[in-house]
Amino acid sequence: MTTTPETIDTEALRVTALDADASSRLPGWFVILWRNGKCRVGMLMLAAFIVIAVLAPVIAPYGPRLDEFGASEGPSAAHWLGTTARGEDVFSQLIYGARTSLIVGLVAGVLSTLIAMAVGLTAGYLRGVVDEVLSFFINLGLVVPVLPLMIVLAGYAPVKGLGLIIIVITVTGWAYGARIKRAQIITLRTRDYITAAKFAGDSTARIIAFEIVPNMISLIVVGFMGAALGAIGAEAGLAFLGLGDPQTVSWGTMLNQASLGGALTTGQWAWLVAPGLALALLITSFTLMNFGIDALSNPHLRED
Amino acid sequence: MALLEVRDLSVTYSPRDSAAVRAVDRVSFEVHDGEFVGLLGESGCGKSTLGNAVLRLLDRPAAITGGTIRFDGQDVTTTPEDDLRSLRWVDLSTVFQSSMNSLNPVITVRRQFADTFEAHSDALGNDLDVDARATELLEMVSLDRSVLSRFPHELSGGMKQRVALALALALEPRFVLLDEPTTGLDVVVQRDILDRLRVLQARLGFAVLFISHDLGTVMELADRVMVMYAGEIVEDQPAAEMVTRHLHPYSAGLLGSYADPRDQVVEVEFIPGRPPDLSQPHAGCLFQPRCPVAVDACRTVHPELLPASLGQVRCLLVEQSGDARVVLEKAAELRRRDQVFAAGLSERADAEPVLVVDGVSKVYKTRRGLNTTLTQAVDDVSFALRPGQVTALVGQSGSGKTTIARILTGVERPTAGSVRFKDEPVDHLGRGALRKYRRHVQLVFQDPFSALNPTRTVAYALSRPLRNHLGLTGAEARARAAELLETVGLSPADQYLDKLPHQLSGGQRQRVVIARALAPEPEVVVADEPISMLDVSIRAEIIALLDQLVRDRGIAMLYITHDLLSARLLADEVMVLNQGVMVERGPTLDVIAEAKDPYTRKLLAAIPRPGARDIA
Ligand SMILES: Nc1ncnc2c1ncn2[C@@H]1O[C@H](COP(=O)(O)OP(=O)(O)O)[C@@H](O)[C@H]1O
Ligand code: SF4
Ligand SMILES: [Mg+2]
Repeated sequence: MTTTPETIDTEALRVTALDADASSRLPGWFVILWRNGKCRVGMLMLAAFIVIAVLAPVIAPYGPRLDEFGASEGPSAAHWLGTTARGEDVFSQLIYGARTSLIVGLVAGVLSTLIAMAVGLTAGYLRGVVDEVLSFFINLGLVVPVLPLMIVLAGYAPVKGLGLIIIVITVTGWAYGARIKRAQIITLRTRDYITAAKFAGDSTARIIAFEIVPNMISLIVVGFMGAALGAIGAEAGLAFLGLGDPQTVSWGTMLNQASLGGALTTGQWAWLVAPGLALALLITSFTLMNFGIDALSNPHLRED
Repeated sequence: MALLEVRDLSVTYSPRDSAAVRAVDRVSFEVHDGEFVGLLGESGCGKSTLGNAVLRLLDRPAAITGGTIRFDGQDVTTTPEDDLRSLRWVDLSTVFQSSMNSLNPVITVRRQFADTFEAHSDALGNDLDVDARATELLEMVSLDRSVLSRFPHELSGGMKQRVALALALALEPRFVLLDEPTTGLDVVVQRDILDRLRVLQARLGFAVLFISHDLGTVMELADRVMVMYAGEIVEDQPAAEMVTRHLHPYSAGLLGSYADPRDQVVEVEFIPGRPPDLSQPHAGCLFQPRCPVAVDACRTVHPELLPASLGQVRCLLVEQSGDARVVLEKAAELRRRDQVFAAGLSERADAEPVLVVDGVSKVYKTRRGLNTTLTQAVDDVSFALRPGQVTALVGQSGSGKTTIARILTGVERPTAGSVRFKDEPVDHLGRGALRKYRRHVQLVFQDPFSALNPTRTVAYALSRPLRNHLGLTGAEARARAAELLETVGLSPADQYLDKLPHQLSGGQRQRVVIARALAPEPEVVVADEPISMLDVSIRAEIIALLDQLVRDRGIAMLYITHDLLSARLLADEVMVLNQGVMVERGPTLDVIAEAKDPYTRKLLAAIPRPGARDIA
């Protein structure tokens, strides 16, 4: 059973987290996530990817762009996954590729979550004309076909590089999160404790930051995870289509170069399969973690 | 053989993070065919847990840890979930307080009926005329057939709860569990639904287990009443017997919260303290710490549920003494000393008003597409609030009470008329001036569960007004917050300062809400139904607290309510509002005793009078 983010009882969730907080030294949300079996597997997988990314220079036997080996070789003891058409080590590229995916996920996830929060919170709290204008942009962001827009933006931009990809993904990806946060704040802002804060003399900014946002933490985490996952997928897709920077080592560019370099004709399955598999595993880890997040928001799914 | 037989049933919550709680402890009872049984007790006494256990609706971390449940001779204690499904709804059905919110929001009422019929077509046959049957069911709960084509969000809370009741009765069950089915609804609506329910029950002959903390209502409806305390049944008597000759001190305490507001002198009692923590073992009687007549043996000997009078009672005193009533009368005497709140004839001193409302009207414009509709929420209302006095504002839902509160507090601006605070007009304040004005005018909310931010501690909640309005910070603010908690009876304050709202009971939360309203030392307090969400047994306590604060601190209070008994206890003056117009006003006793307005009369009629059914 999945819970749509719109129906999450974020306050109850926060309270459970605070309770779990009190009973251990770890943050409460972490305790709840950790108790969910599937989520634990997902978290361990993600942790493994992070370790690999951080320790890439240690783990990878060669530099990712070092092209002094024989071209298009099959797997061997020296090159576990073979070499590329330009004579680079596929295994080393695979290891460094984890960095790109995670950085894109992290940065684009953070950026689009920030935009979504700023837009969603402002629209939902202030309502009125401000809301109407911002909602128009949110809806615009939702109806614009994302993939073509990404391709156009990435294709026509004068510079190429990871930064561009991140910007493209952020620009196209914030709207969904903004809509959910707007809906949530609209229900939260009518709570009596918000009125009480006004009577206590608190300013609007303080009310949003201290009364509302803490009750939305889970929603923000969910939004971030979704955005990060989308960004990782989008980066791989754009790079695979050849719209990335060919100098960046990423699983997408690997796939792109493998198909251009004739991996199929030379029978280099490992070159073709490895980046796809790595990507699939990373996506799986996010999906597994989502089970835990569902459990966070729905007490019945919690492993008590 | 009884329809429902429960033997030695125990239910334990075993949460992962805290100690196990024995929420239901070796409970035995029976419900016969067509019998209407009430189950009473304060919140947290295990009533809902027991009800859910009987229907096998318990969820982790709760589990049945002993005993048996037999329905119609069949043991259902361990029946697999799949076999239960055919039993539920067809033979056993239920309405909860939250049932109205569990209607599917995206389908019409007709569809909800059709789905219910379809899910149980084996019991009904396939050629059922959905509309005809649904109309018949809706008529049973006094709803028009036009409701069929509406969506849940187009219905009021009361209407939704009626639909839920009609759905529960759709398959003519033999047993219906009602868990606080009308709590949270308008008193008059509650009354309507319950009266209807009683008539239906008599006609269709289903058995009912009616769970409520509102003893007056239960006594009036039920044939037999069971009182539950701390997971145990402490008394079980026929309803008429319970009203006049109850034996357990707890039952006596619960009954003490009722009185007729038309009497010259009105007294209500309350039971101080809270039910015990069931995760700890207790020797002796569980009620002992709160019992006014406890003897030494009560601390060590755990009483059994033994036959007494026409039913059963769990109390050592009743066991020992030949005539337990004498003991109870003594208890009542004892309690009267400090646990009674009384309202006599109050004499009104005419102090200078602090807040004057003069000819105020409010018209709301609502735009739906191109049509603009005007709603006259408040129509030419004038009154004044005086220090040290309470003015009650009574009226049906939608009569404009809250709009008046919003205008008083500057949340809303009046369309016409003026509001003056100490001769300063306050009806059109700008942002900054409004913030300053609110130092003097504070609010107490209805729902203690939404009035406190669930993620902020008590100390934080209290520190904000202290800092913003009085400029207190740090240790100073904390010390003042502690003082405030002591003032509202949360003592020792250190125990409460760092608690989160969910660690407090409803009554304790409401005390925190009151403390927060008092923090900036306001001259005017608007209390919007501050006790309607609380257990009946602690309402009197909160009323007593408000009364004391008003008199001690010279606060002018506007007390908004549906509840004439509390208005009678607290208010010096009553105003009755009907569709935005003030239809009655005057000294409380005069207005209540000689009610002229039809709504005021309805409110009076809605006050439960335990035992009334037998007299009538
Ligand atoms: N999920 C839970 N985990 C632990 N204890 C619970 C839980 N739900 C209820 N309880 C405890 O069980 C007892 C009975 O609660 P409940 O059946 O809801 O009482 P009532 O319906 O009479 O208000 C209380 O002490 C309450 O704190
Ligand atoms: S057994 Fe003792 S403490 Fe318990 S109710 Fe009876 S008199 Fe009170
Ligand atoms: Mg209950």
